[in-house]
Amino acid sequence: MRNNKLLLLFGSFLSLALLVVAAAQENVFREWRRVQSTAKAPGGPVEKRLRQVVVPALGVTDRCVTCHVGMSAGEPNVPGNPALAAHPPIPHDPASYGCTTCHSGQGRATEKADAHGTVPHWPEPMIPKVNADAGCGTCHSHIEVPNTKALRSGQAVFERYDCLSCHKVDGRGGTLRPGGGGMEGPDLSRIGAAGYKADWYEKHLEKSRTAGGPWTSTFGTIPDVERGDLETFLRTRVGAPKLVLAKALFHSLGCRGCHKIGGVGGDDGPELTAAGQRDPALSDFTHVPGERTLSNWWAEHFRNPSGVVPGSQMPAMVESEEDIQLLTHYVLSLRRGKFPEAFWPRDRIRAERFGEREFATDGATLYTTFCAACHGPAGEGMRYAGLPVFPAIGNPDFLELATDEMIAATVKSGRPGRRMPAWGEKAGGLRPEEVAAVVAHVRSLSPVRPQPDGKPRVWARPDAAHGPSVYARACASCHGDKGQGGEGPALANKVLLGSASDTYLFETIRRGRRGTSMEAFSRPSTTRPALSDSEIESVVAFVRGFEKGEKK
Amino acid sequence: MTVTPTPARSRLDPEPMPRRDFLGLASLWAAASTMVFAAIGMLRLPKAAVLASPSKKFKVNLPESLPQGEGFVPPGRSVAVFKDKEGVYAVSLICTHLGCIVKQTQTGFDCPCHGSRFALDGTVIKGPAPAPLKWHKVAVSGSSVTVDEESSVPAGTKVQA
Amino acid sequence: MSAALPHTAIERFVANLKAIPNNLRAATLRGGTPNTDRSRSSFVFGNVFLHLHPVRVHRWSLRWTTTFGLGIMATAAFLITLVTGVLLMFYYKPYPDAAYISIKDIHFVVPTGRFIRNIHRWAANVMVVAVLLHMARAFYTGAYRKPREFNWLIGMGLLVTTLGLSFTGYLLPWDQLAYWAITIGANIAQSPREVTDALNLTESFDPGGLQKLLLLGSSEVGEEALIRFFLLHVMLLPLVLFGLAAVHFWRIRKDGGLVRPANADEILGPRTEAYPVFTEAPKKTYQLAAIVKGKTAAVGKGPENTLPSMPHLFYAELGILMLTAGICLALAMVSDAPLKELANPAVPENPAKAPWYFLGLQELVAHSAFMGGIGIPSIVLIGLGLIPFLDRETAGTGEWFGGPGGKPLVLQAIVVGLGSAIAIEAVAIQFGWIREWFPKAPQLLITLINPGTVLTLVYALYSVWLVKKHDSTRAGALGLFTCFLCGFALLTLIGTYFRGPNWNFYWSPADWPAH
Repeated sequence: MRNNKLLLLFGSFLSLALLVVAAAQENVFREWRRVQSTAKAPGGPVEKRLRQVVVPALGVTDRCVTCHVGMSAGEPNVPGNPALAAHPPIPHDPASYGCTTCHSGQGRATEKADAHGTVPHWPEPMIPKVNADAGCGTCHSHIEVPNTKALRSGQAVFERYDCLSCHKVDGRGGTLRPGGGGMEGPDLSRIGAAGYKADWYEKHLEKSRTAGGPWTSTFGTIPDVERGDLETFLRTRVGAPKLVLAKALFHSLGCRGCHKIGGVGGDDGPELTAAGQRDPALSDFTHVPGERTLSNWWAEHFRNPSGVVPGSQMPAMVESEEDIQLLTHYVLSLRRGKFPEAFWPRDRIRAERFGEREFATDGATLYTTFCAACHGPAGEGMRYAGLPVFPAIGNPDFLELATDEMIAATVKSGRPGRRMPAWGEKAGGLRPEEVAAVVAHVRSLSPVRPQPDGKPRVWARPDAAHGPSVYARACASCHGDKGQGGEGPALANKVLLGSASDTYLFETIRRGRRGTSMEAFSRPSTTRPALSDSEIESVVAFVRGFEKGEKK
Repeated sequence: MTVTPTPARSRLDPEPMPRRDFLGLASLWAAASTMVFAAIGMLRLPKAAVLASPSKKFKVNLPESLPQGEGFVPPGRSVAVFKDKEGVYAVSLICTHLGCIVKQTQTGFDCPCHGSRFALDGTVIKGPAPAPLKWHKVAVSGSSVTVDEESSVPAGTKVQA
Repeated sequence: MSAALPHTAIERFVANLKAIPNNLRAATLRGGTPNTDRSRSSFVFGNVFLHLHPVRVHRWSLRWTTTFGLGIMATAAFLITLVTGVLLMFYYKPYPDAAYISIKDIHFVVPTGRFIRNIHRWAANVMVVAVLLHMARAFYTGAYRKPREFNWLIGMGLLVTTLGLSFTGYLLPWDQLAYWAITIGANIAQSPREVTDALNLTESFDPGGLQKLLLLGSSEVGEEALIRFFLLHVMLLPLVLFGLAAVHFWRIRKDGGLVRPANADEILGPRTEAYPVFTEAPKKTYQLAAIVKGKTAAVGKGPENTLPSMPHLFYAELGILMLTAGICLALAMVSDAPLKELANPAVPENPAKAPWYFLGLQELVAHSAFMGGIGIPSIVLIGLGLIPFLDRETAGTGEWFGGPGGKPLVLQAIVVGLGSAIAIEAVAIQFGWIREWFPKAPQLLITLINPGTVLTLVYALYSVWLVKKHDSTRAGALGLFTCFLCGFALLTLIGTYFRGPNWNFYWSPADWPAH
């Protein structure tokens, strides 16, 4: 009995002691209690309690404000400590949007490591602070950007005309304070989102004529072209300069030639629509040094794609660390959350309801967005290790022969069997007017244009005797004996034969294409004699024959 | 009831039950069979007559550049759709062992749960899986393929476009 | 009250009012303050909760080495899970995704929620361990023998119910761990198809499919499955457990208390403290004594080696209860109950592991779903159930490892049990099994001959040899039980610590390929 009494005594004391420790942990030693007790708000100490932001429509219950006490409206501000102070000014009140909507992390958690999400089994860790505006991508998935070149030239114009002396943009400028004061222009950091008056230029001009003083000395006429650039720049001032820059870069490298985002883009690479929300635990970090974070993975992947994803054919598109970080930034912003339309921002409504694009739809931007990765920024064609050479579509020899219809048909339908994908609405997702803009841009890569020769599209007369033999002798080694392609492009190709005129084929054979292996067959080479015009014509007719053979 | 007393019975022993007590037996059997009947009726309830799960038929557009021997897994489905010269076919990704989702590799499918391994056509190469991966019925119309995850067809059934 | 009797109704009312505390106490205790053995006895059998206990308990039963308090520990752990479980139900929402969120809330913001959940989880584990050890105790002390056969069967029912409770609780957090463990479990229920498929019967006779359908209420783990598991976990199985446990406890008393050797009194020696037992002839013992046959209160047998349950047994029981609570609290303090990612039906966990006590089975399942998940467990359960009816011997009852062979036999069986399990596992891990050797082997052969069944056969043969050698069923049973226990422990160990992605063998998780 004595032993049992001792057992009971021991068991009870053990349990009591543990319960006391647990009670202390629960009521005294919780991390957020410590944080709140160190917070000194001007109105006295912060009341110690759990705080949260609940937005049912967004599925958000964020207890971040338990520690970040000052971040939510109506809570005591704790100046001096950025973690506890009020949220930096943004157009969205955290109290109506929550925290994790933009920043990710585990909103329900009340401990730092868990809440910031850098713990096992939480798929959405916080977006690093340097990439903070990538979080805008949750809703603002359709901010319209031009390509980097246009963006930079717009910025250059903006700076050249010294707009910064009166206006503030992204925290810079607005330094001019003329005597009498109060002449500073408005902050333009978010003018692209807020919108500006279409007649701002006329107003400015009038003011500079009538107001005198600094107006006269700072504002003058701006040529139309430069004003266009300037407005392009202004439209991208939506309060997220880094995101805009990153997005512009992404749309300048031709990434979407291989990757689909929201249904528009190529199929060669993985779709990236929600790439910024991937669970780090599902990524292969074997070849990624450093921390196992999504941003590290993407940065390393941009440095060395096939090193991180063995077998990947993706070339390293950028070299500078700055660009790598920008691309990482953009990918992190690819979040495209699912939430009620009431929360859709204007850019998303414009895109998903009215069919606008999240990139500028001028030919240049479209070209850099979809074509530049393979055909080169200036149509010079690209060579990547391990991949066949991509055609130089800016080649004057090509542009001199190819009609707009032929280029448009090629863009729209691609080259089945080759790497060129179809870009029509059902495949790559480009609309007819966008294809036309791309064609116009390709056309602008060189001043030459095809001279109409008045002949019908198909005029070459077949010559059963010569065609096959000449083809076999001169062409088959590169283009394949059945036109299936080899070192050179496949000729037995519906889209090519359906859109190319005989003149195009004839002249291409006759003149060749400079800068490629395609020789001018009208001149003799060391290995073969020159072809006569009639021989070329018979070859063209023979190649035409592939069209029928190809149809099954 | 009439009971013939047994002479040898001690005063303390309980009275034996009468052997022929029609009313008693009938009532007991009636109660028992009612309860059994009720129990059977109640046991029927947990077996759902129709399942709440949505139809397992779905339509999918195959990507243009789907390489031969590489399955396309429509998002949210556990089916790999293949396309080769002989046609289109769909192989279930649900391991026949214990229902894990198998992962496609260069040479076939690997199951993460108990190490079963399947060839590209679904036959078992290794591990505890008792049967090859199922092939589902497919119907092709134009560029879209309809797959019925509930059906199964003999392995090797490929459908031409 | 020595004062004169109150006269008026008002006075009586006031007097009654004053007397309420005393009368309430008297009404509650009925037999007066339990401060003598007799009043305590009447207190025990006059109280619906206490009267599950015998009024007097044999001194043998109070020795720590008799039971190590395992049965009480299991009960205590169950009570703890009951209390904590009810508390968790205040916040838990049995609906997919909402369930996961509610567990997150319990973890992060519900006052004491995390601690309560941890205690619940650890008490459940302690319960499983205690139930298993309790069964081993009952086996090794021969407590299943006549007249306790029936209670042994009830005990098996309790074991299965306990495992069922654990398993059904596993799905409720609705995380990856839960989802895939239950997917595997549900497909184990379906695994009779492995046999019916091989025999081409599934079309007409599909017990596997029916089992899965009943368990999940759907073709896959979803909201129906969750609500079913919730119902089983918080309602059906606890009710079953209550019923079985009540019968179990009651039978202990009816079967004459805990098992003890025939010479228990001699071993215990003469009593040190003098305890009068029925020194005065009681006027009346049990009212029913006249018509009940068999063991009844020890009237006329003279002083027994028993002690009043109150306080002797109650100190022991309370002591174990508090110790169990202490263990659960300590474990809950150092280790959080797991909660992984939200369940994702498209991405299986790799490796997907069931709760630890099922990992032995999962190890078997990794060779054949049917044999590992249903065949061998059924064989084991049937074997356990048959033991008391096959072993009708009496030698060694109430002694640890009692019976022919005794402790040396058990030690030998441990060696054989572990050795053969290690050998067969090593062969399977190193060289693979039939499928790797003969790719064309029919499925039925692979189902029938796999490491699990071979191991079972080895154990069975060893046990038959023991029966012959010692000319005793008990010897065979001792060997077989020990072997199965060792095999279970070893397989559980391998499943827990040495299996990694794709269920491959790894010496340590550090060797797992990163993914």
